[in-house]
Amino acid sequence: MSAGQRIPESPEPLTPAMFHVLLALAGEDLHGYAILKEVELRTGGKVRLSTGTLYGIIKRMLADGLIVELRSRPADSQHDERRRYYRLTPQGRQAAVAESERMDEILSVARSRNLLKKPKTA
Amino acid sequence: MAGTDSRSARLYRALLKLLPFDFRSDFGPEMETVFHEQHKEAGRRNGPGGVLRLWCETIVGIFRTAPGEHLAMFRQDAGFALRMMRKNPGFTLAAILTLGLGIGANSAIFSVVNAVLLKPLPYEHGDRLVRLRQQAPRAGLLNQPFSVAETNDYRTQSHTLDGLVEYHNMNFILLGRGEPERVETGVVSWNYFDVFGLKPLLGRSFRPEDEQPGAPAVLMLSYEYWIRSFGGDPTVVNKTFTMNDKPHMVIGILPPVPQYPDENDVYMPTTACPFRSRPTFIANRQARMMQVFGRMRPGITVSQARADLNSVAANLQHGYPKDYPPEVDYSIRTSSLEEELTHNARPTMLVLLGAAGFVLLIACANVANLNLARMVRRERELAVRAAMGAGRVRVFRQLLTESFLLGVIGGGLGLFFASGALSLLVSFAARFTPRAREIHMDSAVLLFTLGIAVLTSVLSGTAPALAARDTVVNGLKEGSAQTSGRRRMRSLLIVAQVAVSFLLLIGAGLMLRSFQKLQHVDPGFEPDNVLTMQIGLDFTKYNTNDKQRAFFETLLDKVQTQSGVKSAAATMMIPLTTNMVMTGDFQIEGQAPVPGQALPVGDFRVVSPNYFETLHIPILDGRAFTRNDRQDKPNVAVVNRTAARHFWGTQDPVGKRFSTDQGMTWTQIVGVVGDVKQYGLDRDPADEIYVPLAQSPLLDAIVVVKTSVEPMSVARGIIQLLYEVDPNEPAARVRSMEQVRAESVAAPRLTANLLGLFALLALAIAATGIGGVMALAVGQRRHEIGVRMAIGARPGEILRMILGQGMGLALIGVVLGFLGALWLTRLLQQLLFEVTPNDPLTYVGVAAVLGLSALVACYIPARRAARVDPIVALRVE
Repeated sequence: MSAGQRIPESPEPLTPAMFHVLLALAGEDLHGYAILKEVELRTGGKVRLSTGTLYGIIKRMLADGLIVELRSRPADSQHDERRRYYRLTPQGRQAAVAESERMDEILSVARSRNLLKKPKTA
Repeated sequence: MAGTDSRSARLYRALLKLLPFDFRSDFGPEMETVFHEQHKEAGRRNGPGGVLRLWCETIVGIFRTAPGEHLAMFRQDAGFALRMMRKNPGFTLAAILTLGLGIGANSAIFSVVNAVLLKPLPYEHGDRLVRLRQQAPRAGLLNQPFSVAETNDYRTQSHTLDGLVEYHNMNFILLGRGEPERVETGVVSWNYFDVFGLKPLLGRSFRPEDEQPGAPAVLMLSYEYWIRSFGGDPTVVNKTFTMNDKPHMVIGILPPVPQYPDENDVYMPTTACPFRSRPTFIANRQARMMQVFGRMRPGITVSQARADLNSVAANLQHGYPKDYPPEVDYSIRTSSLEEELTHNARPTMLVLLGAAGFVLLIACANVANLNLARMVRRERELAVRAAMGAGRVRVFRQLLTESFLLGVIGGGLGLFFASGALSLLVSFAARFTPRAREIHMDSAVLLFTLGIAVLTSVLSGTAPALAARDTVVNGLKEGSAQTSGRRRMRSLLIVAQVAVSFLLLIGAGLMLRSFQKLQHVDPGFEPDNVLTMQIGLDFTKYNTNDKQRAFFETLLDKVQTQSGVKSAAATMMIPLTTNMVMTGDFQIEGQAPVPGQALPVGDFRVVSPNYFETLHIPILDGRAFTRNDRQDKPNVAVVNRTAARHFWGTQDPVGKRFSTDQGMTWTQIVGVVGDVKQYGLDRDPADEIYVPLAQSPLLDAIVVVKTSVEPMSVARGIIQLLYEVDPNEPAARVRSMEQVRAESVAAPRLTANLLGLFALLALAIAATGIGGVMALAVGQRRHEIGVRMAIGARPGEILRMILGQGMGLALIGVVLGFLGALWLTRLLQQLLFEVTPNDPLTYVGVAAVLGLSALVACYIPARRAARVDPIVALRVE
């Protein structure tokens, strides 16, 4: 009976676009359009995902178990039946953390080589 | 605004079609919503420019996503399909083997058709080359060679040709490399290969100065001879060899191309031939020996060239009325070289391609049936998958992927089979065309194989996939309607397989019958225990009639005394062959030539006294030649029965006279012999006139020896005798007359064998198909059979019921095949000998064979049905 089931693929490195989607969902549960807007807003319009790219990513992350589709709508959501909301799974959060740490390591190397300013301390 | 909105929505939906069906059904509506919002906002914020930008980004995004998604989908389907195939090794093996055989048959035949019929000739100007023939139909001459004067006239007077070259064949003797060797030589115009557009592989081609009288003797090697005799040694160029009495230098090697009209070992310019070079020969307009090829100017069609050359023919007729008398209806026949090289092969190759296509159809039907049978077992699995949300299209595609994989693997196996059969096919095709050497497994064959593999997957996968779709639609409901629909489809496929098998069996049966008839034709002579060998004398050494006569008489005298030899003779040509045809007209004494009427024409043969005895050709009247029929005695001749009837009717021709030189000398007929199948077992005997070797000596003759032992066993001894007479004379083409006979029917025999192989393949596939379907039906109807038996049906009745159902299908197939065969076998007409395409015996025989096979195939499941234990069968439910 394994016929219809998907076997989760081994985690592959995240593409920048996927990382952006994970980051967008790290804040709150969002529907597709909101993810696009969030990514655009956070990157100051530098990253604009098309619908094809976005849903290619969503399909893959669903299959890999990084996100899930919400059965119930968030309380404040506005109605539209066709909208589907997505939420980061613990696995997805872990992937986002891992990717952030990987980047952080690279950045600290860059800093030690004086390629970047030191971050401001809070 | 709403209009624009809906238009962009429609456009976006159309764009989504590029994505796989599953992807669309999962995310399509949502993507439309998102796009709608993006579109609205882009318009509001950035106007038309923003909308345009959005469209660009969206289109690029979809185009980037689609290929990956399709590939992922295919990989998933293929992975699943492979798992399913591994789970059913029996089915998988049967399907792949069936498809492999079907596809292999097609790839193999296509490799031949492609090389021989589809590809352009491998000469640079292949499509512009034509062959010219002189014909005088009212004199019975359809293929007259050309004289030097005629060649020159056509060359200078035609407007449509930019090259015209001549060819004739002769033989030289190569000395100094062990035993003397007969070398077949094409004697050609210096620009022969330039006109064909052939560049030498090594060295150079002929130049005008090579053709000047007194020029150093040069030659070019054919590729095959170079490989065979010199092992492809490139240093052979510029080397010198003694041929006959003269050193000849190798100046070049020809590339591997089909050689036409003959397979030659070497080529020389026209000055190499002493006969062709004689001033008397050149001056004589009627000394016709050469074949002529032309190259049309660019843009000229064959029919334009034909019209042009016939106007030259009309000029000649006008200018030389004595050489081209109006009563013979002289003209020029022009045909494309491509046609010349392939017309023999075309009908057979097309019939075989058709047959291979039929085998593939049967294979497809069989695999479709296997698939359908498997569907019964997979019904639940598919229904469950459907219930879990797999769409109809999804299941449909999954099943097509499975048959696609089967098709591709079967195609690979087919290619393997086909390349294994390649060398056999080349030797088969060589019986029909010099283009056989061009047969290879090239990219066209690979592409064709891939094409039919895909076609096969579609043909064998669609029916089951459609059936499965119904399953999905009806879900897990018990669907008796769909089961009966599927049973109908299976029955239909069986009927189709039987019908097509019937067609193929009829085709093979007709060819076999035709071949049998050919085998039983009385050739007019006794071929058993006869050895033949060709002896072509060195024309420089044996340059007089006396020397030639003396040579053969000495040799034959020696051979006669050899142990194991009953009698020996020499002849210009042996029966069942077509080389060395000598046709001429003559005047019958007492029948003055009628102006405006052509003279009688006969085929002249030169034979030594013992010829008729050696081949057991019966003397019907008068006598055979004797040693007294010498040069200083009156000229004598023997005619065959056909010539006697044709020219002398009811009169006795013995004692009558004829003249071949307008009455200057007369030849007396001394005997009448039986007809011999000279040009092939399927040809009518010609009007033959035999003259004695002593009165018209030969340079190139075939020695025939009747033996009391196995003929090939005396060959070596006779060659030794030959060397005793002259150590520099080679014997060539040493064969038994049985071999000659077998070779003369090799083409129809091989065609019958190949068609027979296809038909047997078809029969085996169809018979296992019927058996399989009946077995499945019995399995499905166990319960019903149990009930029947429980209420009193006896095993015999059950057996008859199942047999009846299977045989019913077979019968419908046979009837349909019968109707198809009546219509299709007309295409075989051309290949058949003394068998009509509707030969009743073949039809009855094939129906019996097919019926019996079907009976055996049905009997096994029927017997199992008859042994069903009603109690067990009923308990199962």
